[in-house]
Amino acid sequence: MPQYRLGVDIGGTFTDVVLMNLGTGEFRTAKVATTPQDLSTGFLHAMERVVVEAAVTPGEVAQIIHATTVATNAIIENKVARSAFITTRGFRDILEIQRQIRPTLYDLFFDKPPSLIPRYLCYEVTERVTAEGEVLQPLDEDEVRQVVRQIKQEAVEAIAVCFLHSYITPAHERRTGEIVKAEFPEAYLTLSSEINPEFREYFRASTTVINAVLMPLVARYVDKLQKEISARGFKSGLHVMQSGGGLMTGEVARDKPAAMVESGPAAGVIAASSLGTLLGYPNVISFDMGGTTAKAGLVERGRPKLAVNYEVGSAAISPDAHGKKGSGYPLQTPVIDLVEIGAGGGSIAWIDTGGALRVGPQSAGADPGPACYMAGGTLPTITDANVVLGRIDPDYFLGGEIKLDRKAAEKAIEEHCARTLDKDVATTAAGIVEIANAHMIRALRIVSVERGYDPREYVLIAFGGAGPMHVNGIVKELEIPTVIVPLNPGITSALGLLMTDLRHDYVVTYICRVDRLDLDKVNRVYRDFTAQGRSLLTQENVKEADMLFSKFMDIRYVGQSYERTIPVPSKEIAIKDMGEIAALFHKEHERAYGHCAPNEPVEVANLKLSATGIIPKPKLKDLKRGESTPEAALLTTRQVYFSETEGFVECSVYDRYKLRQGNAIKSPAIVEDKDATTVIHPGYQVEVGRYGNLILTPGSGETTKP
Amino acid sequence: MNATGSIESEHPKLDTIRFEVIRNVMHAFVEEMAAALARSAYSTNIKTRRDHSCTFFDARGKMVDQASDQPSHLGALVFSVPAVLKEYGVENLEPGDGVLVNDAHRGLVHLNDVCLISPIHYHGEIFGYVANAAHHVDIGGRAPGSIAMTTDIFQEGVIIPGVKFVKGGEIDKDMLKWFTANVRGKKESAGDLRAQVASNKLGARRIVELLDKYGVEVVNAAIEQLHKYTECRVRHEFARFPEGIFEGDAYVDDDGITDQPICIKAKVVIKKGDMTVDLSDSDRQRRGPMNCTFAQTYSSAAFPIRALLPPDLPMNDGFYRMVKVIAPKGTVVNCTYPSAVVGGWEVGQKTVEAVLRAFSKALPDRVPAETKKTILHIAFGGVDPRSQEYYVFLETNGGGFGARPTKDGVDAVQPALQNAENSPIEELEVGYPVQIVRYELIPDSEGAGKFRGGLGLRRDYRFRDHEANVTILADTAKFPARGIFGGRDGRTARYLLNPCGKNFRDVGSKSTFYAGPTDIVSMQTPGGGGCGDPREREPTAVLDDVRCSKTSLDRAREVYGVVINPESWSVDLKETSRLRKTRGGTRGRQNAAV
Repeated sequence: MPQYRLGVDIGGTFTDVVLMNLGTGEFRTAKVATTPQDLSTGFLHAMERVVVEAAVTPGEVAQIIHATTVATNAIIENKVARSAFITTRGFRDILEIQRQIRPTLYDLFFDKPPSLIPRYLCYEVTERVTAEGEVLQPLDEDEVRQVVRQIKQEAVEAIAVCFLHSYITPAHERRTGEIVKAEFPEAYLTLSSEINPEFREYFRASTTVINAVLMPLVARYVDKLQKEISARGFKSGLHVMQSGGGLMTGEVARDKPAAMVESGPAAGVIAASSLGTLLGYPNVISFDMGGTTAKAGLVERGRPKLAVNYEVGSAAISPDAHGKKGSGYPLQTPVIDLVEIGAGGGSIAWIDTGGALRVGPQSAGADPGPACYMAGGTLPTITDANVVLGRIDPDYFLGGEIKLDRKAAEKAIEEHCARTLDKDVATTAAGIVEIANAHMIRALRIVSVERGYDPREYVLIAFGGAGPMHVNGIVKELEIPTVIVPLNPGITSALGLLMTDLRHDYVVTYICRVDRLDLDKVNRVYRDFTAQGRSLLTQENVKEADMLFSKFMDIRYVGQSYERTIPVPSKEIAIKDMGEIAALFHKEHERAYGHCAPNEPVEVANLKLSATGIIPKPKLKDLKRGESTPEAALLTTRQVYFSETEGFVECSVYDRYKLRQGNAIKSPAIVEDKDATTVIHPGYQVEVGRYGNLILTPGSGETTKP
Repeated sequence: MNATGSIESEHPKLDTIRFEVIRNVMHAFVEEMAAALARSAYSTNIKTRRDHSCTFFDARGKMVDQASDQPSHLGALVFSVPAVLKEYGVENLEPGDGVLVNDAHRGLVHLNDVCLISPIHYHGEIFGYVANAAHHVDIGGRAPGSIAMTTDIFQEGVIIPGVKFVKGGEIDKDMLKWFTANVRGKKESAGDLRAQVASNKLGARRIVELLDKYGVEVVNAAIEQLHKYTECRVRHEFARFPEGIFEGDAYVDDDGITDQPICIKAKVVIKKGDMTVDLSDSDRQRRGPMNCTFAQTYSSAAFPIRALLPPDLPMNDGFYRMVKVIAPKGTVVNCTYPSAVVGGWEVGQKTVEAVLRAFSKALPDRVPAETKKTILHIAFGGVDPRSQEYYVFLETNGGGFGARPTKDGVDAVQPALQNAENSPIEELEVGYPVQIVRYELIPDSEGAGKFRGGLGLRRDYRFRDHEANVTILADTAKFPARGIFGGRDGRTARYLLNPCGKNFRDVGSKSTFYAGPTDIVSMQTPGGGGCGDPREREPTAVLDDVRCSKTSLDRAREVYGVVINPESWSVDLKETSRLRKTRGGTRGRQNAAV
């Protein structure tokens, strides 16, 4: 009996589903509208549709893997569960004061993000632990009991507990947890020492609160999906994508919803990383451009890089401050580092009061949409520029589903930009694309150069509806030598779900100079983490042979407050290992910041472990080999504008689905998918790879001719 | 060139589009410099409070671009860099050199801001300069953190007049040794200096890459165009402001030596797209440290103007040339050598308020009531009993933001010139022998109003097993944050030793003292001013505040005229309406006595 794996990726506009035959690597996809009132409706609809279309019986589906915005939406829309917060006496206002900063420097009308728990549901209890972990004031258990009874009266659903220095001495939090369970057993409960035992109280408290306020919602969501799935005859359980990459079962997600806050965006980077690994490129930059935003991520040695100081919800709370410090709620569970900018197909081009041509951040979105959609939009967008330049075929947009009007695009650019600039429409359109590209280059630079990685040593994987159209212009600037455009770039993210391992991450703060470490303690922590990971993975039906435990230390110079994460040996750690670990840290510091101080003392701040449960990866289907010339796939030719040629040139247009492995395409050229268009600039060439991926490199294309 | 037309190209190879691309790239470079500096620095000031700025200047010494998280740096480098280069002589600069300067009387603001200027050589010529300034935790002087009630600049720490500190890309070993011998935070300062050098190296490398790509001529044309573009946008915005002369004032409690308050008077002159801030009527300079250098005053006067301009406006010479500030020599807003200046930021915060008060008359919908309006420094140092090593620490605390004409002021936040994060308590306690006893909002500290001011906060410190030398350099203990349009004033700040125990002492807003393990130092920061009559405040908003214990029941009734039933958490509408009718007029403003 064939085995299938099903991936469901819920995005803002569409819910994408991929069903893959694990034996042959063939897959089928479907797209349905996302149902914001109840996301499970769209999920089930998409799932049913693809299974019916593929004539697969539910029993044949071995795994169902899910990426969802349910947690993010709840935070952004402030529709989280009514919850209470318990903390150390004197520190009730951790959630109100936050970082005491304003996210935008020069805005006199700014706001801080409102606390997820109102002040009247924040309670103090008497207890205090020192920085060294000693009890300065014992926990007043009677007080805790009274507080919990009061909370029960307030009809809350969840409780978050965060005491000072509980990352080192969790006893008071644990005891409080016991009292909560005794007094108010129905309440969902999150202890900071369990969800995120890292120092820096506001960040830990925020993570704890995010988890608590999501627990009731995610539990209901997961339970409903699981019930509906089994009612439809599916035997497999549900796996959920975590924000840091890696899957967890629905059961685990109920306890750790904070881990799935950025579930959706993570999938794209995971897809790029898996594809890279499959093709032999462990170092990859992912570039995902859609209708409203473009996202860049970086994968080093097969592992997506994680964000430092991530904040959730900032875009919604203060759009002007998006991504700025203090604009959202800090979340310390692992989140893949994604740099997102407001440049997508719908981004609007305009002239500012200084006379400069600008693109975004305003977007025409899907409604009214770009001018060429003829759906009420009159302002010029990136998509309009692409239509004017001949890069998009107005009659074959989304496989012909939407007819575009080139005249309307020209008119919008003429009236709103070209006339003021005193330039012709095509030159202006090319300028719009070039400026949009400059924004995207900026995003790619932040995720690579600003973090100390040289983009020239990476392969760029471009996907999303608009990624393949802009990628060539972008890599030219960044001198990235190779670009991969996967088959079906519009559903790459959903495909990424099918290529992900199970993973659980553990962390605890232990601040100590490297030369004074208590190695017995360190090894004990790693053994504990390994045992916890093993037990969870076993529950998730992972065999011992498929388990992988990777240890890390967050290290810094004594006195610094930013750490770098350094991998450490998997065996028991001995004194001599610490010298090598410190040397790795100096090297990493040099790489990231351009300098290091090998004579300065070094200290450990956190011990971390990732427990991975490897799941078999689907094999992608090999594309049939073909001639070196792609003539069989030639659809037509059309006039396309390139800034290199400063005008329109005749350009071959190929049908992606008729290309064969080994085909070599000369530039300039266009390759049309159903859901994306790849533009190949003069000076570049494309070879069609094993899985139908396009491999774009600099060159004339002449060398591959016989 | 006009407000809506396109900019004429100065160079045939530079069109509108290439200009937009190059200016994006240049801004990415200075931001990259700032990111590199923040993430590898040692002292809290830089690494988490991000008290630094990174800049790029052209060969003429005109600022091209700037990245900073602290508005206090707005004018910090724009004047000092060209002045220092002129004095040092650019002909004396070799590739890889770096000139170090912190002398406030050479165009900087206070000695803690240490600035490193590096030339960008390209094909044997100097194309421009990268410079960064970073607030070092201690620069020597009378007390830990280098803040004290000084009477001349020599008491404030080591003065670096602009010396070659970096040679051929390497820090001069002797210089570093001499420098660290003079400061209390040796490890932090050495690490911070390494980070500053790395940041400039990176910036210079990026500019060279840009030149390789586009050539000197095109990049210079883009810089020229950037200045014009910025000027054009600023001019366009100024033209939309109402014309006229608008006046405002603000007061500093005292000068740290005498009880005499300091008056800042601002006259904002808006005329035909020109903008001048005239501070000529402000007080004469003081013997104490509450004096500003011109750079400091410029940052302060420019902040409100910057805040009234669009957020995406680039910061460069095109902005600076449009904002004129008049501050006569010998006043607190432009003191003479060798005045003490370490308290100058307190004058600066009041300058912001004085200018905002003037703008409130010109643009009443766009200006908030007064904020905490003090930087609110606390610094302490001593010998850490755990390691027997000397330590020094400095931080600033947030307070209430002024109410806005359309909404409440924000609670416990950094206003105006500063935007420094709080130090996480756990990190502070791990690194230093201090315990934070409480950290909370102060109920009823807001200036009442239709829209209320933000609440102040309270942070109490205890020193563990040792005696620490503590300095508080703050303000707003006498002159509260004023309300506007009938809004009330906020609660004044209090700086107390042992607030509820024996040995209680009001240490005032400016003092240096010792505190032992049984003492508690309590910083209680000011609330923001209110906006509009408190009796017009939405009763449900009062209810929310009462329920959250931000406003007391009594205050709700007395000041807001709202009666709340604490059993059902509801507004007693009948009683409220009766109360608001019978006591219609607002009570007198609780302005502090002068």
